[in-house]
Amino acid sequence: MNNDIPLNWFLYFAAASFAIGLVGVMLRRNAIAVLMAIEIILNAANVNLVAFWRYGPPAPGSGPLPGVILAILVITVAAAEVAVGIGLILLCYRRWRVADVDRYDTMSG
Amino acid sequence: MPPTAPPLDFRDFWRIAPAATLAFWGLVVVLADLGLARRLDAEARRRAVGRLALAGVGLALAAAVVLFWLDSLAAVDPERLREMLGTSLGDYFAREDAVIFLGSLAAGVSVDIFNVLYLALLALVILLATSYRFTEDWGECLALLIWATVGMMFLSAAEELVTLFLSLEMMTICLYLSTAFEKSRRRSVEAGLKYFIYGSVSSALFLYGLSLVYGLAGTTRFDAIERILAGASSTAPGLVGNLAGASALLLMLVGFGFKIAAAPFHQWAPDAYEGAPAPVAAWIVTGSKIASIIALMKVFLHAARPWSFPSDDIMGPGWMGVIAIVSAVTMTYGNLAALVQTNFKRLLAYSSIAHGGYILVGLAAATVSVNGSAAAGALLYYLVIYAFSNLGAFAVAAWLARDRSADEIEDLNGMGAERPLLALCLAFLMLSLIGVPPFGGFFGKLYIFMEALNQGPSRTRIILVWLVALGLLNSAISAFYYVRVLKAMYLRPRSGTGLKSAEPAVAAPILLSTAVVVIFGLFPQPLVDLMKSAAGPMLTASSFDAPVAAPPAVSTTTSNAALE
Repeated sequence: MNNDIPLNWFLYFAAASFAIGLVGVMLRRNAIAVLMAIEIILNAANVNLVAFWRYGPPAPGSGPLPGVILAILVITVAAAEVAVGIGLILLCYRRWRVADVDRYDTMSG
Repeated sequence: MPPTAPPLDFRDFWRIAPAATLAFWGLVVVLADLGLARRLDAEARRRAVGRLALAGVGLALAAAVVLFWLDSLAAVDPERLREMLGTSLGDYFAREDAVIFLGSLAAGVSVDIFNVLYLALLALVILLATSYRFTEDWGECLALLIWATVGMMFLSAAEELVTLFLSLEMMTICLYLSTAFEKSRRRSVEAGLKYFIYGSVSSALFLYGLSLVYGLAGTTRFDAIERILAGASSTAPGLVGNLAGASALLLMLVGFGFKIAAAPFHQWAPDAYEGAPAPVAAWIVTGSKIASIIALMKVFLHAARPWSFPSDDIMGPGWMGVIAIVSAVTMTYGNLAALVQTNFKRLLAYSSIAHGGYILVGLAAATVSVNGSAAAGALLYYLVIYAFSNLGAFAVAAWLARDRSADEIEDLNGMGAERPLLALCLAFLMLSLIGVPPFGGFFGKLYIFMEALNQGPSRTRIILVWLVALGLLNSAISAFYYVRVLKAMYLRPRSGTGLKSAEPAVAAPILLSTAVVVIFGLFPQPLVDLMKSAAGPMLTASSFDAPVAAPPAVSTTTSNAALE
């Protein structure tokens, strides 16, 4: 384990992906691109989970759920979220004929 | 060496019987709608599927009530429990530590009470959903509402972050979809997409915070996190001392802030509530808010408690200062924005944002209080009353949507003369939301504010005093917009088409929620005592280190050794 990439690098990578995802969510207008940015944030968390599982000693009384299993659960949830998201985007696209989230503005105030 | 988990106690499945029944019944509803109800015409299909869904909710409610009875019996008379259920199950139900599934879910009276509450509210929501035609796909719509409820039940029982995340997603994903179900209207689809984008970003932020907590504490269980934070805080006090820990907690707070529509993260709420079909909006406002607040309470008052206000500074380096600011902004913004609304559902949305602010005052009070469970009990009482007041109000919105295809405040014009009884009910609900005695909302606010003022002399007390003062000021402001509803009903002449008879499907939710608000306003003490007893177990450490029923060889140390 001494020759491995240090834990910090994984954490920096995850933090960078998190920042990229967050910026993407806030700046991108295309609904599909927003969905992709959300996936990037979820995967940043996954990288964290797996890296912490690999390097960190489990605390006493930590229970039976190690990080990799959490990561698998998160991937499953992310898949469900994408399915729902694509469905909703498709519904909106059928009505507005654009996938631009700024154009969906029937309600405001 | 492959990781080995301690064996599961299969009797745990009895504890989740209500949720399991409900999850199964969702499938039954979908299949029956696809198969048997296909040949019926639209009207008969709606009624048939609605009745089927209600039957399942009734079944789950019966299971939840039986569990509640067994759990309360266990505290008084364990011997009788053993006689009735036999030794094995009797011992199981009589044991003290109420954590099931290897410490991931809580069990016991406090969970059962909320299961009963969710199921009762769900029954009213489903009744309301079948009152008018907002969609053709009844099976899917009702099944999604049912599955969202399963998520809520697990969410308020979760004792561990991953279970909490999964049930949060289960709840919200079902709600995104059911928000978009009114396909004849543009705004419903738009509301669904907005809710989805805000909701899934907030879940992603929460998850990133969760991953940091997992890395820092090495565990996701609330009691273990609390122990580790309490041990660490002597060297690195609070949020300032630990960058990663601070970002983890703040990210989780942001995630919860979105879910409960607290002020800087509330933008989705008015759109989602206005666009969603009224019954679905009612379920987002009541069920999902109750469940998220209970989860927030458990994470912050239990797991992150050591970091609440580590030093005695007024806005010390803990999360309590953040909660106080969020609470102040939330109630002020919600009330001011509600003043200018013309849509009834949007008005209720901003009012529910403002109520989120009052609830956070209760959370801050429970943080500081020496007797946290009493303050948390006041908060839970407030939640129950809040839920019923809003459910009744959204039932009126559903009624307007059915008969006038609109839900503006001016559509309420002349309702006082037209339907005196139901208009009176709505008036009571509005008065309860303002916080006028003798309705439940008054006592809810009273108990929360009293608990906030009732703290010992500490320097954090000054924050609470200011929060209470702001809360009182806000209650006065809120009277203006709630009174506009009353004015429309009683002082304006009727405009537009007349309302048709409310029918039991609309009248029952309105009447029942008014009854709850009035009865628990006149006699608040039993409910307050019940909620205080429920709050205790939610906030205290429950441990899976010493499972009574499991074989003695299995302990967490062996499972940890296996992991390495």
